[in-house]
Amino acid sequence: MAGVNRGPASGDELGDDPAGVVVDAVGKTYDDGGTPVRALDDVSFAVESGEFVCVVGPSGCGKTTLFRIIAGLTEATDGEIRVAGSPVTGPTTDMGVVFQEYHLFPWLTVEENVGFGLERTDRSAAERERRVDEMLDLVGLTEFRDSYPKSLSGGMKQRVAIARSLAVDPELLLMDEPFGAVDAQTREMLQRELLDVWASTGKTALFVTHDVAEAVTLADRIVVMASEPGRIAEIVDVDVSRPRERGDPAFGEHVARVRDLIGARP
Amino acid sequence: MATDTGREFDGSGLQAGLGLDDPRRLLRGFAGLVGFVVLWYLVSLTQPPIVLPSPVAVAAEFRGQFLSGTMPEALASSIRHWVPGTIAGTGLGVGAGVALAWSGLLDDVTAPLVRVLRPVPPLALIGFAIAWFGLNHAGAAFIIAVGGFWINFYASYGAVEEVSDDLIDVGRTLGVRGDLDMVRSVVLPASLPGILTGVRTGLGRCWMLVIAAEIFSVPGIGREILRASNNLRVDRAIAYILVLSLMYLLVDVAFRAVQRRVLAWQA
Repeated sequence: MAGVNRGPASGDELGDDPAGVVVDAVGKTYDDGGTPVRALDDVSFAVESGEFVCVVGPSGCGKTTLFRIIAGLTEATDGEIRVAGSPVTGPTTDMGVVFQEYHLFPWLTVEENVGFGLERTDRSAAERERRVDEMLDLVGLTEFRDSYPKSLSGGMKQRVAIARSLAVDPELLLMDEPFGAVDAQTREMLQRELLDVWASTGKTALFVTHDVAEAVTLADRIVVMASEPGRIAEIVDVDVSRPRERGDPAFGEHVARVRDLIGARP
Repeated sequence: MATDTGREFDGSGLQAGLGLDDPRRLLRGFAGLVGFVVLWYLVSLTQPPIVLPSPVAVAAEFRGQFLSGTMPEALASSIRHWVPGTIAGTGLGVGAGVALAWSGLLDDVTAPLVRVLRPVPPLALIGFAIAWFGLNHAGAAFIIAVGGFWINFYASYGAVEEVSDDLIDVGRTLGVRGDLDMVRSVVLPASLPGILTGVRTGLGRCWMLVIAAEIFSVPGIGREILRASNNLRVDRAIAYILVLSLMYLLVDVAFRAVQRRVLAWQA
């Protein structure tokens, strides 16, 4: 049975959690002269260190806005984001960010893409090289290290993007519909791989998606959002042991419960 | 061929640049060229040489000018203002285009100035060229640089404006801090294809401006063309126009080979 966490956690007790994320009363209003649009309203939840949390919601519920605010790419109108207790004021390498459309640097090879962030750290060249090797091995792309992104499939590109974001060893992996642009078969494979990577690295993961089954496959907890204005409908614990099978009745119950929450709200 | 072209481009790139990699295209091009020369020859039979000299006469004049040393000397002189003019115009144009497209502040400050200066044709600046630099290579280089500047300015400006915000965001999340790092690591490489297209167009335009720049008697190919025309030596004028065309072709082919190499990631 789906466990339910009524009301968002305040998150204050997570203030010093080394990789914890606190989303504290975040709101966003777009006001470009016309009627102001409230994209997000009073969104609060916390992600514990090492936890895998998915944010799901219908399109237009502001989940991408929330993703950009957490990443420090967009400023919130109200509230704040804290990572390991410090407010996020801009992009930080404490977070590895993965976007839906990969956004690899097309002029760099796979290897150079993965090493991009490392060049801005104080690691030595030998350390950087070792780290790149490690990351390529992690996502199984060692033999494509000298290829340019143009010659890669969508799934391979997203693996490079994940390796690139993990290379600088961030505490938190933040992803916005990273598997939204690949076919269903590749998506399932990438989901399994992501869980492996998450389990083996112990990173905290915050994953935005509109795919309920994907959220139930991946998450410890699911933040279900509603729209107009974008807000939290409910936070659902996923009490299904991994690896999760889609045929499992408990899996189906969770999917139905989350779908219901999304559909029940306007 | 591959041995002496250096590391910038190898023989295969040069072949591709000339279209030598496709024998059928090469053959068609050759046929078109032969057809044109034959037509030229036939028409020239019906006209006095002062109106249209035959290709044979032009070839003879070309040979004569070349062997007498006049042509190599004129070419060397033109190169002496084409090279600095092109380098200055290209460098300043790309630099200004990138800087203004990237910095909203710079763009706002300079927008009215750019609008006023843009419509001024390089030739209208001949008076300034003479006053500031004199009747010499520097004066001619100035005219060439002005023409090259604008082409590169607008190409680079447009290319930088088109760089996707998403790549900038990715750069920021990966630790790129400050304008200089962002421009160097993300903006420039992302806009390089557009910038290089501008540079290539500019190289050609600068060769054309060689003629204009030599209007005020700076020695070179352009002055020889003008002199020959004034003396009704159409055969000589055509011979020098051919030199100009060949130089343009050479530079363009070489640049395309470099371009292909630098933008290998696009292929």
